[in-house]
Amino acid sequence: MTDDAKINAPHRIGEPPLVRRLLIAIALAFIALFLIVPLLSVFTEALRQGLGFYFQTLRDPMTVSAIELTLIAAGISVPLNCLFGVAAAWAIAKFDFPGKNILLTLIDLPFSISPVISGMIYVLIFGAQGWFGPWLVDHNLRIIFAVPGIVLATIFVTFPFVARELIPLMQAQGRTEEEAARVLGASGWQMFWRVTLPNIKWGLLYGVILCNARAMGEFGAVSVVSGHIQGRTNTIPLHVQILYENNNIPGAFAVASLLTFLALVTLLLKTWVEYKHTGLRGTAFTPVPLKKRQTEIPA
Amino acid sequence: MSVEVKNITKKFGDFTALDQVNLKVESGELVALLGPSGSGKTTLLRVIAGLEFPDSGAAQVLFYGEDVTAIPASQRKAGFAFQHYALFRHLNVFENIAFGLRVRPKATRPGEEQIRARVGELLKLNQLEPLAKRFPSQLSGGQRQRVALARALAVEPKVLLLDEPFGAVDAKVRKELRRWLRKLHEEIHITTLFVTHDQEEALEVADRVAILRDGRIEQIGTPEEIYDNPASPFVYDFLGNVNLFSGRVREGTVIIGETEFAVEETAGETDTDAVAFVRPHDIRITREANGQKTFPARILRCNGAGPLANLELERLDNGGLFAAQLSKEEFQQLQPKAGEQVFVELKNVKIFSEDFSI
Repeated sequence: MTDDAKINAPHRIGEPPLVRRLLIAIALAFIALFLIVPLLSVFTEALRQGLGFYFQTLRDPMTVSAIELTLIAAGISVPLNCLFGVAAAWAIAKFDFPGKNILLTLIDLPFSISPVISGMIYVLIFGAQGWFGPWLVDHNLRIIFAVPGIVLATIFVTFPFVARELIPLMQAQGRTEEEAARVLGASGWQMFWRVTLPNIKWGLLYGVILCNARAMGEFGAVSVVSGHIQGRTNTIPLHVQILYENNNIPGAFAVASLLTFLALVTLLLKTWVEYKHTGLRGTAFTPVPLKKRQTEIPA
Repeated sequence: MSVEVKNITKKFGDFTALDQVNLKVESGELVALLGPSGSGKTTLLRVIAGLEFPDSGAAQVLFYGEDVTAIPASQRKAGFAFQHYALFRHLNVFENIAFGLRVRPKATRPGEEQIRARVGELLKLNQLEPLAKRFPSQLSGGQRQRVALARALAVEPKVLLLDEPFGAVDAKVRKELRRWLRKLHEEIHITTLFVTHDQEEALEVADRVAILRDGRIEQIGTPEEIYDNPASPFVYDFLGNVNLFSGRVREGTVIIGETEFAVEETAGETDTDAVAFVRPHDIRITREANGQKTFPARILRCNGAGPLANLELERLDNGGLFAAQLSKEEFQQLQPKAGEQVFVELKNVKIFSEDFSI
């Protein structure tokens, strides 16, 4: 370092070192106590009876069926919410229409009400005593205590994830690129596939990852509509509860470790996508702010 | 053969952006739409491109005689360069320019070879060859503007529409781009409309200038015509600095203070109050009173820096302030000092009949 640089080096500002270390220590202790310890306990409890028992639990037909149902529910609700999310975000970000703010608020609704109530709604509508109950019974259709109910409840609970991720992004990007595509002769589809989608792909992926994590992990709403029929309407989180209530603690933790593992994978993916957002070129996700563009002059 | 709009009215809620606008741009002409912000110039451009639709009625947009009013933007074949370029940020320069060719329907889409040739041509024309692989975020403002233009030209548009083409770059690049646009237009001779709020830009680049105010075209003409013969006080004021002198009109003269000055045209008013418009460079300053043709004033400030000297003066009779511009030569001959009393002579005095205040 040259003398000049030493002189120009900024003086440290902010709290004295002791305070800073103390704050860091508190934060780390908190994370260890509330995140790391429970995380480790899941895996230690799961493996308490050995690897043999662990895999035996996972191979159990009831567990396999719960995993299958969870995959089905997520497999249906995530693509649908992806579609709804893009459509809603598109409408809100690119068009002005009456009731826009109401729509914005409604999208957040699933976040602001208890999941149990989300489940109750469907029971009240489609349950045997519900509005459409008698009609559904007459036509031999089952929604509550069956797979369709679980899918519906999952869709409801995970509805906001994709839309919430895309709305601010699309609003920030504005409409001009789409307008440019139109003037250049692109049809509506071409505009969407060649301009809109590439611009939102990382935001969309981010939303899908979060949506998927919630869809697989949802307990409350699904619990209300499922009926807990082992082997038929049991998802992974519900299965964990059943095992736990039957005093099969290591079994419960073994299945729970699947969800924990999913959470870790989600976290990794999320971090990776975030890195790509702001990554080196970052052209799709970090537009140069207008102000900067205007003043950007090659020296 | 021309691009023509007729009876265009466009309202956004209570705001009237365009009010019965008619405009005809001849084939190959370069026309500037000049006006302050909110005057409707960008809206007019967007209506021509098909990005906005005029409010019903007798509105018509014609491209070379063909009525395109109901045709969507994607089929109008207008080239549009947006104010902030709107380059596709996920595509490199080459692909940005090729976009319009790639989205054509299969029947008319050129082959890969032809696309390469066409884009290569445009890269060359716009001096963008070394930048073909770059992404928009890696370009300077001036470079982006050229890419935006090349992209618009790639589809061989019938008309080129530029929204504030030099708005978002700094003053130096702006001058270069202006010259470059003029040169480009001479080379390819495409009917072009561009929007600007900078009068200097409009006067320098355009064949004809249309001045907009509150959704109406206030005046249209060649740069010389509108500069020398502004049709209204608004145009006069908008095209450059101006001094206002209140006085009285009488038989082809205007009386300011106690001095009579000749006026080129009057609307036949006799003996009414009027405001005379004089540009700062049409003011001459002398030390000697010149009979009936001058009035006395006092110099408040002198600034001799630059090619023209700027003076600030005060009328002795009513204390009205005005500005004068002298050439370097005149300034050095006269050597005016602040606080000094001088005599003022006015040339090219113009009066307008309507009431107007700036």
